Formats: sequence, C-alpha cells, structure tokens
Amino acid sequence: MSPRPSTAHVRRPAILSAAAEVISERGVQNTRISDVAERAGTSAPGVLYWFESKDQLLEEALVFADARFYEGLTEELGALGSATERLGRLIDLWPSADDGETVLWMELWVRSLREPKLAETRERLDRRWRETIAEIVREGQETGEFVEGDPDGLALVLGALLDGFAIQLTLGDPAVSTDVVRRHCLRLAMRGAEHDEGSMEPA
Amino acid sequence: MSRERILDAAVNRIAADGIDAVRIARIAMDAGVSTALVHYHFDTREALLAEALTHSFDRAGDIRTEGPQRLQDMIEQCLPLPGEQERDWVLWVELWLRAVRHPELRPTAAKLYERMHEWFREAIEEEFPNADAGATADRILALIDGYGVRALLGDPAVSLERAREEIWAGLAPVPAPH
Repeated sequence: MSPRPSTAHVRRPAILSAAAEVISERGVQNTRISDVAERAGTSAPGVLYWFESKDQLLEEALVFADARFYEGLTEELGALGSATERLGRLIDLWPSADDGETVLWMELWVRSLREPKLAETRERLDRRWRETIAEIVREGQETGEFVEGDPDGLALVLGALLDGFAIQLTLGDPAVSTDVVRRHCLRLAMRGAEHDEGSMEPA
Repeated sequence: MSRERILDAAVNRIAADGIDAVRIARIAMDAGVSTALVHYHFDTREALLAEALTHSFDRAGDIRTEGPQRLQDMIEQCLPLPGEQERDWVLWVELWLRAVRHPELRPTAAKLYERMHEWFREAIEEEFPNADAGATADRILALIDGYGVRALLGDPAVSLERAREEIWAGLAPVPAPH
C-alpha cells in the first residue's frame, strides 16, 4: 500500500485561507484545485471533499476572508475614542494599492455577472459592510460629529465611494491615494466640512 | 470596415460570454470575417478587450447640451442603462480584473479613466467655476463605478434611479482650495 497523505487534520479554514490567497494572486480562471491543495498542505481530493467547484471555493473563500476582516475590525474600532476616528480607521483599512481583497471583490463582480448565486452572496456581504458603516454613522450623528440625515443612505454613498476609489487604487492610478480617499469620505460625513471653503453656486 | 465590424461583434460577444470564455472564432463568425483576420487585427484577448472598450468610448461622449443639462446628460451616459450601456458596463468590469492580471492592459485602463476625468473636469469647471473641478471629477468617477457596479449587478439597494440621483448629488460639495 502506498502511503496516502492524510487530509483529516487539515481543517476547512486552512483551505479557505489558502484559496483566498491563491485566487487573489492568480484569479479564479487560473487557479487549479491542486494549487489550493498545495498551499493548504493537503491533496486535491482533500479540497474537493469540501468544495465541489471553483466558484464555490471563491464564494466561500470570500465569506471566510470577510469574516476574518470583521473579527479584526471589531477589536480595532473598539479601541478608538470617537466616531470620526472609527470612520477614518475603516477607510484606512479598506482600499489599498496592494490589497488582495479588492482583487477578490473584482473576481466576485465579474463572476456575479453570470452567476446569480454569486450575485446573491455579493449582495449579502455588501449589506453587512454597509451596516457596519451605518453603525458608525449613527454613533457620529448622536455625538454631533457627523451630518444629519438617513444613516443608511450615507453608508451607501460611503460604500460606493470606497469601492470606486479602491478600483482606481488597485489599477495603480497615480491620482488616487489613501489620503485622497479619506478626505473625500470624511468631507461627506463630517458636520461643517461641507461648507468649509469656496462656493458651489452655479456659474 | 472590417475592423469596425470585428469590434462591434467583440463588444457583444465579450459582454455575453466574458473575456475568459469568449471564442475568437465566434467573434469572427458574428462579424462575417475569417478567424485569421481577427487575429491579424488583435493578437491577444487583452488587445481585443482594450480596443473594444476604446471603441465604445469613441461612440459615446458626443453630448451637445450646455449648462447643468450637460452634466446630467454625461452622468446619464455613464449609467448601466439597459442595452448598449449595460453591455459596455460589463466590459468595463471585465477590464478592472483583467488589468490587474495583465499589466499590459493598465495603460489602456489609465487612458480611459483619464479621458473620463478630463471630460467631467472640463464640464464641472464650466458649470461651477469656484469648485475644485479635479477633486470633484475624482469623486464623480468613484461614485459612477461604485454605484454603477451595484446597479449593474441588480443590487436591490441601488436602482438606476438611485444611482443617477446619488451621482448627481456628488457634484455638489468639493469647494476649491483658497
């Protein structure tokens, strides 16, 4: 009998973490199940035992990466003193130039175009993200740091803005930096910031 | 013009099948030309995607209205409205990912973003002379992508109506630095 590698000790999280890395580096299209297995220290059947397709692997890897992101986030934000600081930190954590997660989101967008199930997952993850932003917005409104108005609406604008800038950052647009993103987002949210300079009356 | 016909066919096929799955032979068939001719004009998938998108951009962009109506019409042209614009949007989303994977596409992406930025910057400058037109254009582009991709994917929170209103609202508060 030839010795077969045991897969029992490799847990699902190790495979998902490996999948998130490999997919982010190479894309769903160029990821082979065996690449993920190798990264996770298991065999292809070991991966296929848990995930039947690459789309499923992408979906679950994103859900996994997302959960990991929120775990760290709750801790980080809890340590900060004000809603303004929390929003600022959230912005810093989101789009960055060499962020593997933005690429995973791009993969999800492209595949959601043709896979309704993935589109649903995207919507669910996005809703959670917006709820996280809305919570900070509500807090900032209560303390008087942020502008009044519908917190869910403001969370949606901030979410859209962050994604739009994340795309340009990921594509290496020299005109966009994290500072620029932060300035735009805080200007939208903070009380008084919208009237600070200049006039927006039409010509 | 066979090149034109190939690009029209490519835009439709890439939107339907995706850049990864699209078959060059199928584009050739749709365009009524030989596969060899498609390869002659575009030797890689990346070149085909880049040219197809540039082709879409060339067709758009011709807006003759003036004043606030002009900016409204520009935003309208950037929304994933059913039909041609939705199709162009699919290519746009494909471009983001493809450009990450294939750095040779980045200059095309950068050029298209620059073109859009200039287009908006000039119109904003004309309409709001006291605004920081560059920064406002930055924000409008980010909002178009952020709302556009959600509307394209049928997010229940982002109807086309909502996307249109929110992008328009994004024109307002970026005052010029003193």
